[in-house]
Amino acid sequence: MMEELSAVPWAVIAPLLVVQFILVIVALVDLRKIHATNGPKILWVFIILFVSLFGPIAYFIVGRKQS
Amino acid sequence: MSEFNVLLQKEFREAWRSWKFLWIPLVFALFGMSDPLTNYYMMDILNAVGNLPEGFDITMPNLVPADLLQASIGQFQLIGLLVLIASFVGSISKERANGMATLLYIRPISFASYFMSKYVVMSAVGLVSIAAGFTASVYYTFILYGKFEVTMLLAAFATYFVWLLFVSAITLLMSAAFKTGVATAGAFIIIFGGQIVDAIVGVFWTVSPWKLPVYGVQLIRGTMEMPDYWWSMALTVVLLLIFIVIGIYAMKKNAAMAKI
Repeated sequence: MMEELSAVPWAVIAPLLVVQFILVIVALVDLRKIHATNGPKILWVFIILFVSLFGPIAYFIVGRKQS
Repeated sequence: MSEFNVLLQKEFREAWRSWKFLWIPLVFALFGMSDPLTNYYMMDILNAVGNLPEGFDITMPNLVPADLLQASIGQFQLIGLLVLIASFVGSISKERANGMATLLYIRPISFASYFMSKYVVMSAVGLVSIAAGFTASVYYTFILYGKFEVTMLLAAFATYFVWLLFVSAITLLMSAAFKTGVATAGAFIIIFGGQIVDAIVGVFWTVSPWKLPVYGVQLIRGTMEMPDYWWSMALTVVLLLIFIVIGIYAMKKNAAMAKI
């Protein structure tokens, strides 16, 4: 297990994971605060959580309803 | 001057609250990462999903760092600019449409400072975004391929920023002059249509704002003809100043379009 973990090239993977993590957190916080979205809120929760990388981006581009 | 500062703070707060300062740079960072990574792991990716026939043999090109930066800039040019333009093209026209503008237009503020506050914020978001994108791209290129010369890299970055200022000026001019739908179409046609025209028949001229992103990379490669570079740069700056002036004028003229 430990050897497998250390075999992963972390210098390559880590930034991607960090960016993905920040995007998901920010999108979820924004979703919690926002009044209404385009489409049902629960759908956006699933998109943000399960569509990696592009889910949160899609939420920011089309999900937020600008009043 | 103080009214400009107040408006600027308002715009910054709005951009911050809608998370524009966070997610647009992250999008640029993602697209900056994607090209060095996919190029480096292309063999593995093809083996994993390619379903290649037996005995298939391809030779990968020998890429230098500048090639990867060019590929990343290509990503910014399409998807990055799409995101940036789409999230700012409504900044003036939408305020007119939903009645927010009337709250501001009845006050004795100059249209110039109002327009400039929006322009500064869009450029600031763009600056942070391309900084994130370049950092991501250069980081991966550095660990997977090799080094850049720092001064030339900064020159390429500055060149791309000037191009971005040009894009911001066009976007806000469109937003000031038309309704949101028309403005989006107009900005996309000028920015992306210009790129396409430049790609197809661009060999016939050497001075054009649409060539600036490529010229930035050519600075790194050391193959740039400096007179062409400076003329393009000067033309871009002159054009963007003209666009800003027309934008302010259009905003004043369309103030009556604001919904009450």
